Amino acid sequence: MVAAPLPGGALIYATLRLRLRKKLMDKQISPKNNSDVCIRCATCMAVCPVSRVTPKFPGPKQAGPGTERFRRPGEPSVDEWIDLCIGCHLCDMVCSSGVNISELNLIAKAKYLDQKGRPFRDWLLTHSYLYGWFGSLFSPLVNLLLKSSVTKWIVEAILRIDRRRELPGYESSTFRQWFRKHQFRGNHQGTFHSREKVEVDNPPSPPFSKGGKGGFKPHSKDKKRVAYFYGCYTNTNEVDVGKATVQVLEANGFEIILPPQRCCGIPMLGNGDFKGAKKMALYNVPSLLNTIRSGSEIIFSSTSCGHMIKHEYSHLLSIPDAEEVAEHIFDIFEFLRNLIESNGLNAHFKELSLKIAYFAPCHLRALGIGLPVLEILRLIPGLKIDNIEADCCGMGGIFGFKKEKYEISQEIGRDLAEAIDRLKPEIILSDCEGCRMQIRHLTGLKVLHPIQILRDALFEISDGETRR
Amino acid sequence: MHYDLIVIGMGLSGLMAAKTAAEAGQKVLIVGKGMGSLSLFSNSIDVLGQLPKTMKMEPHRQTSDVDTKAHRGEHPVPEDQFTHEQVSGHLGTGMKDGLSQWIKDHPEHPYAKVGLIKIEEALSSFLSLFPPPYSFQAIDNMNCLLPTGAGTLRPTYLIPTTMVGGISFDEGHTLIVGFKGFKDFYAHYVADQLKCRGITLSLPDVPNQEITATALARLMEKKSFRENIGREIKKQLQGETRVGFSALLGMHDPFQVKEDLEEIVGAKVFEIPILPPSIPGMRIFNRFKEWLIQKGVTFLLGYSVSKATLKGKRCERIEVFHPPVTTSYSADRYILATGRFMGGGLKANMEKVFEPIFNLPVPQSKSREDWFEKNFFTGAPHPIHQAGILTDLSFQPVDERGDLILENGWVAGSILAHHHCIDEKSREGIEIATGYMAAQRALAK
Repeated sequence: MVAAPLPGGALIYATLRLRLRKKLMDKQISPKNNSDVCIRCATCMAVCPVSRVTPKFPGPKQAGPGTERFRRPGEPSVDEWIDLCIGCHLCDMVCSSGVNISELNLIAKAKYLDQKGRPFRDWLLTHSYLYGWFGSLFSPLVNLLLKSSVTKWIVEAILRIDRRRELPGYESSTFRQWFRKHQFRGNHQGTFHSREKVEVDNPPSPPFSKGGKGGFKPHSKDKKRVAYFYGCYTNTNEVDVGKATVQVLEANGFEIILPPQRCCGIPMLGNGDFKGAKKMALYNVPSLLNTIRSGSEIIFSSTSCGHMIKHEYSHLLSIPDAEEVAEHIFDIFEFLRNLIESNGLNAHFKELSLKIAYFAPCHLRALGIGLPVLEILRLIPGLKIDNIEADCCGMGGIFGFKKEKYEISQEIGRDLAEAIDRLKPEIILSDCEGCRMQIRHLTGLKVLHPIQILRDALFEISDGETRR
Repeated sequence: MHYDLIVIGMGLSGLMAAKTAAEAGQKVLIVGKGMGSLSLFSNSIDVLGQLPKTMKMEPHRQTSDVDTKAHRGEHPVPEDQFTHEQVSGHLGTGMKDGLSQWIKDHPEHPYAKVGLIKIEEALSSFLSLFPPPYSFQAIDNMNCLLPTGAGTLRPTYLIPTTMVGGISFDEGHTLIVGFKGFKDFYAHYVADQLKCRGITLSLPDVPNQEITATALARLMEKKSFRENIGREIKKQLQGETRVGFSALLGMHDPFQVKEDLEEIVGAKVFEIPILPPSIPGMRIFNRFKEWLIQKGVTFLLGYSVSKATLKGKRCERIEVFHPPVTTSYSADRYILATGRFMGGGLKANMEKVFEPIFNLPVPQSKSREDWFEKNFFTGAPHPIHQAGILTDLSFQPVDERGDLILENGWVAGSILAHHHCIDEKSREGIEIATGYMAAQRALAK
């Protein structure tokens, strides 16, 4: 701005600046580039899962604030190793100076890949939401193909997706399809008054609610409605996670609705594709906002989707109204933990004598809600649950599928596999689909979402529907 | 969410406070902006490093560039006090006598507010988390001199098992081992200072590349890697009976790594403290974290407390800001253990030093010009280090007249006033003792 020619103008200018400053302070905007506050203490180096296993990545201190001073707008990218940052956020969490290292890395990664170009493989891996329906429709054939070593060999040769990696199979009926049937069937022990909203761009209709009936008496008397953001993977690849989430919420006296939703966009963001991620966010935010404004909180069961919507939409992608969505979207176990506080949690658990180990995904840690899974599952009689002391599973979403990164992904995972081996559990739990894939791959053990175990502790498994 | 007790800060003092409260069956939340001081400082536990050294230290004949600040050797503890029964106590006689004199001479010091018996209890509580084989121990009841990555000898009190071999090592009979590409430890430099021999090994897998402390610590946990290293060292041994490594003999089972190396090399192996990130500090942090989560403590790493809401003299709740969401947590009692400038417990602007969460008064020099001595390496501590939070005998914050400021707040750790932990070499001791005591006082009220 040019200095004002008149003293009066200067005064107005000063007032405006002050007001703007105040506005900024009121909104508590954290700096988007605060690399200068780094004191080079190297604490981030102590937790980075990538630099621990490969010297190719210089680690968060150097990759983030260290290189930031060489990055200039309009000049070519200086980060040929930046693609190795797995995006776990662990460096952000241990930094006592508050540098958002992973954010610096992500912005640099976007620039690097924009210049270098992304292979078709990356597009394919980040847009699974476009072909998931196809996978489900032809699941017997697709699954057979995905398991075949010939397919894997071809996929590796052409797409450079590592053939040692299992490609996730598709379920014949999607979660949405199950939900639609579920709401019309009234004979289950749960309460059935859930309702799906058809995926249209019209504003959602006013709340629809029906009194509870059926065998199960909900804990809380007044029926409340919550909306569920289930995510692509639950919809087409691990439908039981969605079922369990619905069943547990219903057992706690909630009516579930499914707001119109698309992929949260985290696969694109993780690949530095801000544009692709924004497109997703711009669809999801108005839809979720409508749901929120008609009185429903949003629940998610995938911590990666949840972290994306809650913390990246507003801060990194600057999506309008994303702050309001963030205030009303909760992790399923965080939500249940809050019910304990209001004495609203249905804790009529039956005994489950199982030895279980829980792995907290990076994005759950980055949510900053502690480990609510442990707090809830410890209420189940007979269940012995240990927390797995390891930093990162190494999957990094689609990171672990890429041929050039597979070895790194496995090497990171080895520390987790060893930690699991020390605990010797029967079943492993993790809230993130990426972690579950990786742990199955590493250990061959049974790996579930914690909500599935909680559901098993609430319901007698008599009817085929509740079982995986 | 509501808790019995909220601890703010994840350094040693915050972790000790959370442990103490969890043991008493309290519902505890511990919240910290970052990992705290453990990855920056702690390789060993200082209690009062400036106390005189023991007679066992005499043979070292230090060179002039060794830390000369501590008045070592002036009051040697009589030889007849070195018995092993006393070593098993957590404050050996030498340290006990030294501390009780210190408390008499410094009535406002945090140690004086904790008292000798409780200091001992606090140290026992800390040590209970580290059962053998990776345990901490005092050497001959008193401070010992630990070789450092700078080639100096540094007085400290409790050291991990893996460092014991470095105490009273023989000049000329020790080999110091470094790794090519690891920039935080130069074996030849350290060896020169300590008057022994140094070698630098090249790692075949990392040609011409840098390697980090955590990467090396991880490699050390691989049996094949340490066997190769061990065999190479054995080949290069020239009659040395001890081998010193930088402190990165694995994260999970350093004792086993040390044992294996000793067997292959045929010499005593020890770790030497290095620059941050401190692997021994990480071992302490990870152990606390594992234990606290196991006990049901809510462990909230990575987010800073943005605001505390007070009603009169009581804290009603704290807010944690994680853009764009602000979450409130409330508790019956609060412990502030946010450390000093590095941890963000104290902040400074152009005019003054302040405490950002509760805005507790911080006594300090009148003008910014008086914060530092003209000569950086002057003998006396810089005046800025006197800035800290005033408390009563129960570690509750008070103003300069001694009036209570926060009825349900307690303060612990290096943020407290009336100590010079750097100069005294007392940081970990103060953190452990005051973290323990603040939690006990809070629970008693």
